[in-house]
Amino acid sequence: MDEKAKRTRELLASFYSTEASTAGRAVPVSPSRVATLDSINSPSFDPDVYMNLLHVEMAAEIKNLDTDLQMLVYEITTNSSNNIVGMEANMEQLLEKIISVQSKSDGVDTSLFAKREKIEKLHRTRNFLRKIQFIYDLPGRLQKCIESEAYADAVRFFIGAKPIFEAYGGSSFQECKISSEETMKLVIENLKGKLYSDTEPIEARAEAVVLLKQLNFPVEDLKNKMLDKLEDFLLDFHKESKRMDHQCLPDNIPDSERRLIELAQDLFTKRYETIQQRITEQLSSEALMLALRDIWSDVSLMDQVLPEAALPVISLEASRGVIKKYITGAFSALLRYVSEALTGPQTSPKGTEEQRTLQTALESSKKAVIQGSMDCLLDFRHLLDDTFELVTKMRDLIVDWVQEGFQDFFKALNRHFLMLCGKIDIIKNRVNAAEGFRAEKVQTGLVLVLAQLSIFIEQSAIPRITEEIAASFSGGGLRSYEYGPAFVPGEICRLFRSASSSFLQIYITMRTQKISTLLKKRFMAPNWIKHKEPREVHMFVDLLLQELHGVGAEVRQLLPSGLTQRHHRTESTGSTNSSRSNPLREDKISRSNTQRARSQLLESHLAKLFEQKMEIFTKIEHTEESIVSTIVKLSLKSIQELVQLQTLNRSGYQQIQLDIEFLKNPLKEIVHDEAVIDFLLKEVTNAAHERCLDPILWRRRSSTSSSRQSWSRTRSRIPGK
Amino acid sequence: MQGGSTGIVYGGLKYQARCIADVKADANNTSFLAGTLSLKEENEVHLIRLSPSAAELVCEGLFYHPGEIWDLASCPFDSRLFSAVFASGETNGAVIWKIPELYGQSNSPPLEQLVSFDGHPCKIRSILWWPIGKHDKVISIDEQNLFLWSLDCSRKIAEVQSQESVGVLHHLSGGAWDPHDRNTVAAFCDSSLQCWDLRTMKKTNSIELVHVRDADYNPNKQHIVATAEDETGIHLWDLRMPNFPFSELPGHAHWTWAIRHNPQYDQLILSSGTDSTVNLWLTSSNNSDDSTSESQSDSPTQKMDPLLNSYTDYENSVYGIAWSSREPSMFASLSYDGRVVVESVKSYLPRK
Repeated sequence: MDEKAKRTRELLASFYSTEASTAGRAVPVSPSRVATLDSINSPSFDPDVYMNLLHVEMAAEIKNLDTDLQMLVYEITTNSSNNIVGMEANMEQLLEKIISVQSKSDGVDTSLFAKREKIEKLHRTRNFLRKIQFIYDLPGRLQKCIESEAYADAVRFFIGAKPIFEAYGGSSFQECKISSEETMKLVIENLKGKLYSDTEPIEARAEAVVLLKQLNFPVEDLKNKMLDKLEDFLLDFHKESKRMDHQCLPDNIPDSERRLIELAQDLFTKRYETIQQRITEQLSSEALMLALRDIWSDVSLMDQVLPEAALPVISLEASRGVIKKYITGAFSALLRYVSEALTGPQTSPKGTEEQRTLQTALESSKKAVIQGSMDCLLDFRHLLDDTFELVTKMRDLIVDWVQEGFQDFFKALNRHFLMLCGKIDIIKNRVNAAEGFRAEKVQTGLVLVLAQLSIFIEQSAIPRITEEIAASFSGGGLRSYEYGPAFVPGEICRLFRSASSSFLQIYITMRTQKISTLLKKRFMAPNWIKHKEPREVHMFVDLLLQELHGVGAEVRQLLPSGLTQRHHRTESTGSTNSSRSNPLREDKISRSNTQRARSQLLESHLAKLFEQKMEIFTKIEHTEESIVSTIVKLSLKSIQELVQLQTLNRSGYQQIQLDIEFLKNPLKEIVHDEAVIDFLLKEVTNAAHERCLDPILWRRRSSTSSSRQSWSRTRSRIPGK
Repeated sequence: MQGGSTGIVYGGLKYQARCIADVKADANNTSFLAGTLSLKEENEVHLIRLSPSAAELVCEGLFYHPGEIWDLASCPFDSRLFSAVFASGETNGAVIWKIPELYGQSNSPPLEQLVSFDGHPCKIRSILWWPIGKHDKVISIDEQNLFLWSLDCSRKIAEVQSQESVGVLHHLSGGAWDPHDRNTVAAFCDSSLQCWDLRTMKKTNSIELVHVRDADYNPNKQHIVATAEDETGIHLWDLRMPNFPFSELPGHAHWTWAIRHNPQYDQLILSSGTDSTVNLWLTSSNNSDDSTSESQSDSPTQKMDPLLNSYTDYENSVYGIAWSSREPSMFASLSYDGRVVVESVKSYLPRK
């Protein structure tokens, strides 16, 4: 096999991705197995024969293509060479013509060269003469400028000529220079005169300063003099106006006085506005005081010369506004800060990080509340501690503002919390409610964090802030006595106490709602009258337990367990039944093991008789135990209600019985109030019994064995258990 | 505020029971109908009358009823007629019964069946009478259909006038007929409340994403509907703005099962729940007047608690409540264990 054929085969092989090894293998074609190229789809397809055949055909085609290519190349070369020969002749003609044109233009150029040189020389001379003329004319020109008071032109001319004087001033233009400089001195004098002149409009005086500066005149000195003069002027003016007042000439001077007053007032208002703008950029109280002090010193100065402007009054008013704005600004910044601490970390990924996230969210928002408030207080104390007379005048006001600020801040914080839960005052914020009401995306974890944060605010933050306020911000008293102090810690505490319990309520509602959906699907969907014999514990039990474990895991992160001693059912002796229980059961705490079964029966009867409602719907406490057991109780009650809506056949009854039997132990591990669980589970089976057409108990043995199987099955399925 | 033993108790029902209805058409007496729910025993309907001294409840009639009663409504224009939705094992049906003339017999005469609402493809949930007065139409609701019947009491026939399916996605559980518009009926299911126009049999309006257990139109204010929801308590809606409720009440510790506006005092709402309580609420009257409601809710501490009283003297879930239309300050409640309690709310009525 020659080299070329081998390469072709390899190419083809790679194209059809047959193995490379087959391509290299030479296979003799047996004459008996003649095949065509179409045989690729036939069952008798032999790849080697096929490849050989393909190779032969391809070689023939390649040869054909080769000859075609050669023919084409030949044609193209002959045609183009003819064209190129014709083009060459034309190009030569063109070159000849261009050369002749160039030589002619060169001739014209040389003949005109001499004349052009001369013209350029004359032009330069004329410009030079013009400049000399200008220099010579400069003194006169400046004089004219002075006469017409066009000082700007004079300065411009002089500055233009200056380089020439510097270069040739010593020789040819000495006279001119000296006379020009003398004239310029006059100009400067005139400008100064203009500057000091009170009758000149302010624009003209400013222009004079600019011109003097251009002439390198020491303007700083001028400024000082100017200011002195201004003060003198103000004093004079003051005296003058007094005199005028005495002379009862209100038509003329008061007008300008009013203008001055307006100007001064305007100036200071503007300065206060600047401070107000700076407040939005989180100014510290020191910086604020510095700025206010600054203005105040100016105000006092001005006031000495211009008491009519009532600048201290305006200034007091304005600083009051500024400080008030400063305080409210600080509180709204604090609110933002807390809200960011609260919701910021919530966006981080879930899963293993969730535990850390809920806790850190709580911790960081706790810190934000207490630290933020303390920082604010510290900052405000700087305001009070300042000896600055303006502030000492406003001391009471500031105290009131700070107290009011805290009061409003906590109210706003409470509203903000409610809004985060999607539980805002529907009537009040009707527009927002449209979007907010169905905020089903509220995270259960966030609600728990809010509940705990509210508790923290009520129990730790408010007392500390109250203490601080009492220490540094007591008094006030500008508010009338009937209103009392602006900051009412009792009211805020009440607000947050009720908020925290309502957050827990919301949390429980959210969780039970989810469980209810699960239970409704389970109990509403099947036809219980035609239920099949139970084979194993129904799926919903696993789902319910999983959901409850989820609740437990979430609540455990933030809330104290609420039990003095956690114990497992297997270890329980019945003596430490539950730390949270009613007095009736506490009596029974020391009870021997043997009496247990009987006492439980008695307990459930007693519960049924006396304390059913009290037991099921107890007040929710801020403990894991309380929340989890409330959710379990509500779920069991839901099961009971759902069962009561059905009519069951025997198998349906037995299925429920089995499911309930299986729920018993895991639930008792979750909730430590065993009597309540027993009672509620009993209620479910009782309800099922009542709603069953043919109630026959499930055989106990098979029930427990089946239940055990499922139990182990579930155990392995529930994470963390 | 614990409602102690202020109520008048009727202990005559032998079995568990869910349904109690006010006999509207009885102008001379304050009377109620209650039906029992027993799978195995013979069920009963009791006609209960408040004695003229308002001191006790008297059984005015006791009638055996085939099947357990899941829904009961008294005819608003004939005190001797009432409708009942019943189930017996797998069979389910709805019937209008006629109470036989009572001549002080001690033995209970049989009820006379006036018409039967046959032809429902699914389980019938509720029969609705036009709440205000004489009307020749009756609505029956099954899990997936609305039927409008034209009723001829004298000839004892009821014919289907029109019907509409709401689709298999919704499992209707009941309905309420708008007392201000006899062409509108609200049907509710686990996920929404839908308003239907009876002329076109088309859905005209709906409140979505609410788990309605019960709903009741305000008889004194048009467009106002109260819904009772399992976990989320009670919401008050203006049907012109169905996207969000204008007010909410906390409801019950477990599910809120039933809700009824007072027939006369439109701010009074009664609700019953599976936490074995009946709650009396006073709602803010001006739902559409922003200025007043805002001033009211300005400070949370000044906000009035809407719960006027919680009646807790029940052993079991309370499924049935009914205001008396003759005596609007009285209501009857029925707990699952078959105890009827009639209470007076006179001390909570708003002073005029």
